[in-house]
Amino acid sequence: MPEPLRVIYSAFRMAMLHWIADPQWIIPNIIAPFVFTTVALTLFKDSTGPFGLYAVLGGGMMGMWGNTIYSSGFAIEFEKWQGTLEEVIAAPSKLIHVITGRAISNAFFGLTNMIAILIIAVLGFRVSLGIADPLMFAVSLLLTLLSVSALGLIFASAFVLSRSAQALTNGLETPLYIVSGSMFPIALLPFWIHPAAYILGPTWGIDAIRLATSADYVSQSFWSGMSPAMAIFLDLTILILITLTYVLTATILFKIVEKRARITGTMVQA
Amino acid sequence: MNNFKIFLSSAVFSFRAQFDWLNPVMWLTMKFVLSVSQMAFFVFVGIFANAPIQFIAVGNALQSVSWNTVFSVINITGHDKWDGTLPLVLATPANRLPLFIGRAMIHVLDGLISAAISFFFAAVLFGVNFGQTNPLALIVAVVLTAFTMAGFGLLIGGFCFFFRNPMVFANIFTFTLLIFCGVNFPVSSLPLAIQPVSYIFPLTYGLSAARSAIGDVTIAQPGVDLIQIAPTLAQQLAVGLAAMLIGYLLFRSFENNARKTGKMEAV
Repeated sequence: MPEPLRVIYSAFRMAMLHWIADPQWIIPNIIAPFVFTTVALTLFKDSTGPFGLYAVLGGGMMGMWGNTIYSSGFAIEFEKWQGTLEEVIAAPSKLIHVITGRAISNAFFGLTNMIAILIIAVLGFRVSLGIADPLMFAVSLLLTLLSVSALGLIFASAFVLSRSAQALTNGLETPLYIVSGSMFPIALLPFWIHPAAYILGPTWGIDAIRLATSADYVSQSFWSGMSPAMAIFLDLTILILITLTYVLTATILFKIVEKRARITGTMVQA
Repeated sequence: MNNFKIFLSSAVFSFRAQFDWLNPVMWLTMKFVLSVSQMAFFVFVGIFANAPIQFIAVGNALQSVSWNTVFSVINITGHDKWDGTLPLVLATPANRLPLFIGRAMIHVLDGLISAAISFFFAAVLFGVNFGQTNPLALIVAVVLTAFTMAGFGLLIGGFCFFFRNPMVFANIFTFTLLIFCGVNFPVSSLPLAIQPVSYIFPLTYGLSAARSAIGDVTIAQPGVDLIQIAPTLAQQLAVGLAAMLIGYLLFRSFENNARKTGKMEAV
């Protein structure tokens, strides 16, 4: 196996073992999306329209988001607490490969969060949610998952240098839910926020997921007037381009962060 | 005097301790970001669902005290365990009651700052009109909510001494307030069977009192005065003090158990 893949796999395996050793850490990751979904479903209770599509899929998306942001922050924080960050940095393996393995595992757990929220919504709130195009739903979900992981890499690079990763994690979670339009159309947001929404991969991912769930959604999507298949294609193309940009940005950031950490020697006290 | 000094030092140290992992600039940033972002999220969901915006904005403004009085107070227990200060706390001969209650008190003041910021955002960003508000009644309701929610934080913090990861409970109890306490929708919207649960949280009473004090400018309904919300505030105070007392008893029970078994951090 090539060296980068071996490192990514080892980091992924290690993160899995940590989770198995202390599975209660999944609770903080899932609690906010679960509560937000419950509140949204209660607010939508007496309304008519495609609210289930927003509340349930949005809640599931927030589950993935929350897990990635939370875990990216805490992955570094835990290393600091346990005194192992120095070893991770000092090892000849590239830091970005280690964090990539962790980010993929975080996104994987995020997927389980999404499934948990879908099950709770369907069973607990009796929301009917048929999937019009299961194949495109799976593809959109997978690509969104990768995009969230790639964004997690960018966050993680910043968290290496910050002593306040925990606070950043708490502070970033809800603004990202708002900007990506997880539970309501982005059109409701002030116009000046829209550019921020467009550079987030999950904004396009959730649009594609909603399109794959219901063809009728196309009139409310970014591609109103086009066929659902074309709309999904455009959403996914933009999602892939944004994800590649994230990966490139994270690679550059990790090089800078790693170099700075070695020069200043203050990463643990930072 | 000695008990007051213990109370004061416990209050100051438990608040200062959070700056071990948080710098002051980030603390201030989070104060503004958390206040506005949670409120904005639910207001936009409310706009989409055609729900009353003032109800949601006021609910989230007052709920913001929970980040300090519940989340942070519960996490004091967690940091005592992670940072290795719990054995020192248990070894001190200081009177336990002021020591325990003092831990939450600066967080009450911190919570009041959060509430002030949030009410400001509610007015400026989301158009909540305070034109009919009875200011004294609102201020008393907010102060009492911060104090009694700190009692609730101490209750869960006391309970968390028996567990390894208090942060898990801090997350659960801070967020579930959004469902049970009438923050974004009235308690009456909950299934009938679980509505009684709402009344174990002091925030439920606080929100009811605060909304009455604010009134409703759209239907020219003036905010009520302090006398009229006094029964609700009395119930809130009783629930908050009971929570504080139970939390203290849990703390003493944990302490006795720790002395017998020698187990502290690794429960």
